[in-house]
Amino acid sequence: MPILNVNGREVHVQELNPEGKETLVLVHGMFSNLSVYYFHIAPVLATTFRVVMYDLKSHGLSGRVAEGYDLNSMSEDLEGLVDVLGLDTFHLAGYSFGGLIALNTALRLEARIRKLVVIEAPDPADEKARGIIDEYSREFLENYVKNYTDTTHVRMGKRQLERNHRMYEYLFYQTSIRRDMQRENDFFIRPELRALDRKTLLVYGDTSNCLDSGRYLHACIPGSELATLSGDHNLPVQEPELLADRLLTFLTT
Amino acid sequence: MDAAVTRLTYQEIFDLLKQFITDVIGEEFVEEMDIEPQSSFTKDLEMDSIEIVSFSEKIKAHFGKEIDFTGWLSGMDLDQLINLNLDQIIRYIEECQS
Repeated sequence: MPILNVNGREVHVQELNPEGKETLVLVHGMFSNLSVYYFHIAPVLATTFRVVMYDLKSHGLSGRVAEGYDLNSMSEDLEGLVDVLGLDTFHLAGYSFGGLIALNTALRLEARIRKLVVIEAPDPADEKARGIIDEYSREFLENYVKNYTDTTHVRMGKRQLERNHRMYEYLFYQTSIRRDMQRENDFFIRPELRALDRKTLLVYGDTSNCLDSGRYLHACIPGSELATLSGDHNLPVQEPELLADRLLTFLTT
Repeated sequence: MDAAVTRLTYQEIFDLLKQFITDVIGEEFVEEMDIEPQSSFTKDLEMDSIEIVSFSEKIKAHFGKEIDFTGWLSGMDLDQLINLNLDQIIRYIEECQS
């Protein structure tokens, strides 16, 4: 089922272990795609769960969309997908911007969420997180790729760089993503966070510049667990096995 | 279906995988490349991870439950995945067919 039609848009979806009794939906981060889970994390989780991964709009192999990058629109996309898949209840996990989408979706659809995992979600008001959104240039991408290569040892070839550059240029200059993200500055101070009644695991890298966001959410969300693993914001690439094991333990106990 | 009838040779698997790569990254890029069994996905073919996902799905769709391709890939660490070449996949498929 690689491409599904959800609310009239093309959404790239992959699933593992479709016979799994309970379903876990995984949400990737901004400027990334479902492959962040596909090779190492999803197969571990699929030993127990049906695992559904999808590409956010204008990311990976999903269709390009000019508008609707605020958290509520992104949650609506996710809700449309789980409805198309006929999922009444499901576990939900998201990484980085996808962690914010997962958290926002849990606030909107609390009764349908079994357990929630938020990995390395940044505070949208944090200047370091916003810096990426506010300014984009070819130099930014080259620096970003260099840093990514330094911390993960994953190299990008010329054609890959071009593909990414095209995606970034589209997202930055032809969509509402920057404007929409600026509107999310108050997300972490929403009172609903303090009333969230779902078992929640927060996972952050011990050297991540988002760790303070994890500590803050831990203090906010009643009964939440905060796990720190060795790594920075690129945790799913640096420690996929550790991360997958931690998620599996949380989701199965 | 009798597995013995559908068993593919090394060359046939190689040709099939080459076709999958062409489908995924497009003929115009493949024409500029010399795809060989020793070609690695990330270094030589410059395929990024979402393209390797598409490629994996094509293998899964073609061979079905005959091979657990995602399971096989998940057993590799990141460096092994980065250095993965066509020859390794062909040998894995041959193994599953035997």
